[in-house]
Amino acid sequence: MKIHFQQALRALILLAFCGLIFQLHYTGDITKYINPKYVRLSQSASILFLFLFFIQITRIWTSKREEEGHEHHHGENCRHHDDHSCSHHHDHGDTPFTGKKLLSYSIILFPLLTGFFLPAKTLDASIAEKKGGLAILGNQKQEVNTSAGSDEKADEPDIDLEDYSLEEELEEVEELEHDLSVNEEVQEISNEEFEQLKKDLYSAPAIKMDDKVFSLYYEEISKDIDKFIGREIEFQGFIYKEEGLASNQLVISRFLITHCVADASMIGFLSEMEEAPELYDNMWVKVRGVIQKEAYNGTELPLIKIKEWQEIEEPFIPYLYPLTIKIL
Amino acid sequence: MNRVFRSHIIDITGIILIAILVYFISFSSGLALSFDIPPSLLNLNVIFISILIEALPFVLIGVLIAGFIQIFITEDHIKRWIPKNRTAAVIMSCVAGALFPACECGIVPIIRRLMSKGVPVYAAIGFMLTGPLINPIVIASTYMAFGNDFEMAGLRMGLGFLIAIIVAFSVSIIFKSGQLKESIHLSHSSENNRSFLDRIWSMLTHSIDEFFDMAKYLIIGALLASIVQVYMPAKTFLQSADNPVVSLLIMMGFAYVLSLCSEADAFIGASFSSIFPKSSILGFLIFGPMIDFKNTIMMLSVFRMKFVLGVLALTASVVFFTLLLLQNFI
Repeated sequence: MKIHFQQALRALILLAFCGLIFQLHYTGDITKYINPKYVRLSQSASILFLFLFFIQITRIWTSKREEEGHEHHHGENCRHHDDHSCSHHHDHGDTPFTGKKLLSYSIILFPLLTGFFLPAKTLDASIAEKKGGLAILGNQKQEVNTSAGSDEKADEPDIDLEDYSLEEELEEVEELEHDLSVNEEVQEISNEEFEQLKKDLYSAPAIKMDDKVFSLYYEEISKDIDKFIGREIEFQGFIYKEEGLASNQLVISRFLITHCVADASMIGFLSEMEEAPELYDNMWVKVRGVIQKEAYNGTELPLIKIKEWQEIEEPFIPYLYPLTIKIL
Repeated sequence: MNRVFRSHIIDITGIILIAILVYFISFSSGLALSFDIPPSLLNLNVIFISILIEALPFVLIGVLIAGFIQIFITEDHIKRWIPKNRTAAVIMSCVAGALFPACECGIVPIIRRLMSKGVPVYAAIGFMLTGPLINPIVIASTYMAFGNDFEMAGLRMGLGFLIAIIVAFSVSIIFKSGQLKESIHLSHSSENNRSFLDRIWSMLTHSIDEFFDMAKYLIIGALLASIVQVYMPAKTFLQSADNPVVSLLIMMGFAYVLSLCSEADAFIGASFSSIFPKSSILGFLIFGPMIDFKNTIMMLSVFRMKFVLGVLALTASVVFFTLLLLQNFI
């Protein structure tokens, strides 16, 4: 009997990957990394790692007889080649432990260590800034223009009013058609629920942006700010202040996660309130205000005049996820 | 007697390893909050780990397929399947990639194994370029991200396919075969006469070895991509977006360094559509899945450095010029 320490190390690494993913699921921290929609996928990865671990442990010990068999096998393959590694274009973990190997094992161990030892942190305002900040918030508005008209039109800031309202109508028709198949949001909802949500947006006395509908409503509002001017709105988010904003302005934003936090995109509302200077980055607030319109760098943005606000704890699930609508 | 003894030893080793890990985990939860780490490093770590967690299922599927290819597919099969004619081989590989649902991290171990079985380099490149770009999930997510408009999704797939064919064809002209790294040579499977169960077993062990070969490149790639995300200010680039040429370059650069999964990049692409013209957004959507930071590092595990850089430059310029030529039509 002979023990192969490298094979043991490999087995340990496989098990550790399984354990890391399992631990994240167990503590619920997984939602700080990926969209819960993909939880099953990562669970199956964890199970696969466990399975590979069980295969790997059989390779830790080899008996003399097998050893010879293995060698013989190698010999057979090697006849065609001069070099030593021959058909074994990859490392089987049998070759001696060298500095190069130490490096590659350290690389593989690195994420395991940081994954186990460092706490899962929520993305914060500094990431919002790196993602482009307020500049990317105006997007849906422009998108409407591009899909209705040609590219040049979107570049022109001054579309005359007549033209504009026409486009708007066109857009509405289009929207109605799309309603059935549309949109992305947290978890799965049925079509009727989705329709109801949209209806609520237009009819409710105050727009309540809870996590489920946040990105849907956000998109609707940005698409056609005029329709919502003067409406009352309630939502929560973290504070993000950007250079160039007036002292009474700040952005209250959320991150929308499609797959994992690496693809987080920022959505949020430019807001105005007297106490803004007292508020600091990354502070979570729940606010109530009235929707207005503001031009920012040539794009129109909804601006929320805050009437009431209150500091809150960061929610356990700080992120938003796109809704998926079941289409039969 | 030996056999019984051995199975016991394996059990014991397994239990010891599990015990080591459990010890580590319980140790970690106590340690985690005890010292101060700058928040930007924690952000970095979260993004880094999330990229890995997102990629691992696909990488595992990739290495299992690679293991399968290694054990069950022989060079003769490949010889029979790949057309002798170069043009036909390029087109076939691109179509195969389009039909094969993969993502850019999972596909590298597969092409690596295919090439060691004798698939010509240009066919492998064609397969690698279309595999992650053209598949149902990518189409669906692009469709949703751009306001349920099929135009972007259609353009992404159509132009992507065209570009992949041009690149693969250029590779077949420019590069000779033999671009594999020294250590990877054609393998001669002498395993045909073994029992089915034996072959499944060696497929799995091969997959494990493949995983360890691949993992380090994936990890370095993910780390670099997350460093870029945390420390590179996208904002400063956004201000210089007026010129279509510059904006196309910026968006392609973004796609490259952000290294997003092709299934998730559509929403990010869409979020830039207020700032950049459509052709630049398409540059982001097409170039990203084909080659990115993470993927380049992983390719280094298969090909020579010179070849990787060559393919990178080639793909980038074909995407760039195609979109520049077509930008008035889209």
